[in-house]
Amino acid sequence: MLPLIGFWSGLGRAWARKRMLALYWVFHTLCALGAALPLMAVAAPELGRSRLGDELMRQFDLAWLAEIQAAAGESAAPAVVFAAAAAGVILLLGGVFLAGGAVPLLAREDVAYSPEEFWRGAGRNFWPFLRLALYSLIPYAAAYLLAGLAPRGAEAVWGEGLEERPLVWAGYARTALLIALWGLISTAMDFAKVRLALSGSRQSLRACLGSLRLAWRNPGVMFWLWACFAAAGAAAAWVYVELAVRLETGGAPLFVALVLLQQAYVLARIGLRFAAWGAAAELDPILRPLPAPEPAPRAAEALDYQI
Amino acid sequence: MRPWLILIAASLPLCAQLARPIASYDIRATLDADKHVIAGEQTLDWVNDSPDTVPTLQFHLYMNAFRNSRSTFFRESGGQLRGDRAAEDGWGWIEIRSMKLEDGTDLTPRIQCIAPDDGNRDDCTVIEVPLPEPVQPGAALRVRMKFTTQLPKVFARTGYRGDFHLAGQWFPKIGVWETKGFRYAEKSGWNCHQFHANSEFYANFGDYRVELTVPSRFVAGATGELVQRTDDAKRGTSTYLFVQPSVTDFAWTAQPGFLRFERMFEAAKQTTQEELSAAAKLHGLRIDDVRLSDVKMIALIQPEHAEQTERHFHALTAALKYFGLWYGRYPYRTITVVDPPHGTGGAGGMEYPTFITAGTSYGAPADVLMLEIVTVHEFGHQFWMQLVASNEFEESWLDEGFNTYSTGKIVDNVYGGTALPLMVFGRNLWSWLRLPKLTQASMDRAAHVGYPVRDPLATRAWEFYDGSSYSVNSYSRTGVALRTLEALLGEETMARVMRAYHQRWRFRHPHSRDFQQTVNEVSGRNMDWFFEQFVFGARRLDYAVSGIGSRELGEPVGVFEKEGKKETVTAKEARKRDKEREKRGEKAQHESWVKVERLGDGVAPQEIEIRFRDGHVERRMWDGAGRWAKFTFTRTAEIESATIDPGRRYLLDVNFANNSRKADYNTALSTQWTLRVLFWAQNAMLWLTALV
Repeated sequence: MLPLIGFWSGLGRAWARKRMLALYWVFHTLCALGAALPLMAVAAPELGRSRLGDELMRQFDLAWLAEIQAAAGESAAPAVVFAAAAAGVILLLGGVFLAGGAVPLLAREDVAYSPEEFWRGAGRNFWPFLRLALYSLIPYAAAYLLAGLAPRGAEAVWGEGLEERPLVWAGYARTALLIALWGLISTAMDFAKVRLALSGSRQSLRACLGSLRLAWRNPGVMFWLWACFAAAGAAAAWVYVELAVRLETGGAPLFVALVLLQQAYVLARIGLRFAAWGAAAELDPILRPLPAPEPAPRAAEALDYQI
Repeated sequence: MRPWLILIAASLPLCAQLARPIASYDIRATLDADKHVIAGEQTLDWVNDSPDTVPTLQFHLYMNAFRNSRSTFFRESGGQLRGDRAAEDGWGWIEIRSMKLEDGTDLTPRIQCIAPDDGNRDDCTVIEVPLPEPVQPGAALRVRMKFTTQLPKVFARTGYRGDFHLAGQWFPKIGVWETKGFRYAEKSGWNCHQFHANSEFYANFGDYRVELTVPSRFVAGATGELVQRTDDAKRGTSTYLFVQPSVTDFAWTAQPGFLRFERMFEAAKQTTQEELSAAAKLHGLRIDDVRLSDVKMIALIQPEHAEQTERHFHALTAALKYFGLWYGRYPYRTITVVDPPHGTGGAGGMEYPTFITAGTSYGAPADVLMLEIVTVHEFGHQFWMQLVASNEFEESWLDEGFNTYSTGKIVDNVYGGTALPLMVFGRNLWSWLRLPKLTQASMDRAAHVGYPVRDPLATRAWEFYDGSSYSVNSYSRTGVALRTLEALLGEETMARVMRAYHQRWRFRHPHSRDFQQTVNEVSGRNMDWFFEQFVFGARRLDYAVSGIGSRELGEPVGVFEKEGKKETVTAKEARKRDKEREKRGEKAQHESWVKVERLGDGVAPQEIEIRFRDGHVERRMWDGAGRWAKFTFTRTAEIESATIDPGRRYLLDVNFANNSRKADYNTALSTQWTLRVLFWAQNAMLWLTALV
């Protein structure tokens, strides 16, 4: 039941922070714009002057991508790679920064939302969260390598077997294992963020290891909690795709509707991210209650004793 | 008459009008399935159909390409080809144990390795044998040979893996004697190239009879018709007898696990009267001349791909029908498609006479047409590599490229576009996400545009800049060039050109100039400029509209002659006249201009379409020879856009984005694109946030 309790509580906490959701979305979009604009500038500066641009809106043409490369010459690839890498860094830093503002407010229901509180948290938690993000790369990489053993093992056993089926199923097993492990690590990192934000600690490595230990001890809760959010995310994606394909081929009004739908989907995903952090905040005290504070020395008694 | 000639004679009625046999083989081969060794004996009947006396013989020993890392093939390929890598412990080779003439003269001691292409002394993929007496014009020669072939682990179209065997290029094969003036021959001699990494083959036509002995548990398939199968229970072997007249090669496969299926291509059921009438009318033939013949289709399928069997037959049926209607009926009685097992990618996607290998994967989704594309493509080679039989060493575009063009038209016509594999747990998300299907035409153009123009299409296979240049030019760029030619000549004319070329040169080994001549003759137009630049030259075609603009023509100012007197119009007076004109509701004249530019070194006549804001459309022709040209127009309406080559006839043009220019920057369009990219950036950021 704990995963469901966490899931519903997380949704409730996210719903209670609608203004923060809007603020988060605005700055999230600005960060994304910071990545999208340079990419567009490199990829297709002349598209607006070419009639091909109109056609490409109606029907994607693989050759167009090759044309961009050919038109820009040999300098295109480094420029696009650089722009994409820069975009990735912007998105990563932006994501970490905004998480620093959102997590404390989702974790502490008693604190009223205000933009000042949000930005204060974003600034205070940026470096611990960034360190946490970097530390988390280690378990992600380890999980990737571990999952990779499944097909390698299957190939070693299979040798020169002429059937592909066992290797395909080994591939499925690898994917499933990788998703499960990454899901666990991702959920553990949510708990780590909550711990860092609530305790005011800057010990990111300790929070990372502690949360991984928590996931190790409570794999069922962690996995099913992640599964609840993954299922919700998949449902949102399914709804988005089914609606989006109906709007893709329309004119300007339908395109406006498509953009609104896209942003609604983005909002839904942000909401689910909020809910995941909220769920971690709900379950963290249950799964690993903070040790009771040591009783303060009773000064009067001591005094009496001395007397 | 030898008994096997009786069998061939029996099959002749349905294979009439085929090639005159120049090099015919009678082979007995036994497979040692444990060692993957073939022990063979063959009798070669070779006819000197030239006016020359021939003093030597030259043979291909293709399998020696896999003997060691010093062969020309390995030096060129580095042990990697077509996405496949040679196994470190899987060498292959062929040795001739004896070679004798009919009179018993032993030629074995005379055998010497030669390297006519690169002088590589370590390469023994070609041998030469001096004859005691030269072969006189028109005379025949019989040579008996014993040989041993060690198959390599599957690599580059041949080999074994586990108990799967594909034997291609496995027996000593005589070269082609070319007399002076035949194709490009400046003097008479053997055309017998070494086995190169980027090359396929060239051979004379002949009649083949092959007795193949394999363990009884194996299922075998091969070029030609299976005439009989004899089981030897004592030895646990089965001997298959395959016979096929008028082909250029023989390949076979054997594996215990094959599932063997047969279907008939029933010509009368597969083609409608309307289709036959249309083909007959287009080519000026009688309906009986365009009728197709029945063909037995055989599929050797891996058990785990059994559910994909009908996909193979469907693709074969489509190919038999359209290649037949377009170029002429398939003259053989069988076609065998082999589905190689997992781990034998190097054996997949290969063509031999009446015998092809396709290739699919476990659980291959129906919307990814790789199986269909490969099957149609490999079958298509029957019409180019096999029936026309040009020299693939020297002019690979005449086979691979022509086939890419033909295959693309059939696949796009019958199946539409293909999805790409975006697999998650065996489900392809491509179609669920409604991502656009890709046509063969689009993929060919993408390959053409994405790779620089470095070599002419007509380049010898081993002399391309690199492997990518070979594959892009031999396949995709040729496909694009032929589609460009089709757009220039018109679809019907091109259809007539292709059929005329195929029919005229069936069994005759044409070269590129023969195709050029056919184009000019059938179309009635001189297309030499096209061939010299884009087939025999490596010209890059790129035309652009580099600028457009309009300016209002106000009342003129200055000194003018009017009724014999000088009249001076000041700027003030001119503005006044302009205002009066506006009051009368008359529109001002505008001078509009268009500048077009030739960015590449390819020259082609161009049409330019100019659109004005009042909806008026002007068209201009430009010979395209200069580096640029300017066109001006005086109209009341301003220019809206200009497009060079508006019909997109020149698919060889490497950049369509610069082929048009609009006066107004389409802000809405760039906004739409940016919003799409923004959405993906937002999602990427959320994925990052979800992980860290």
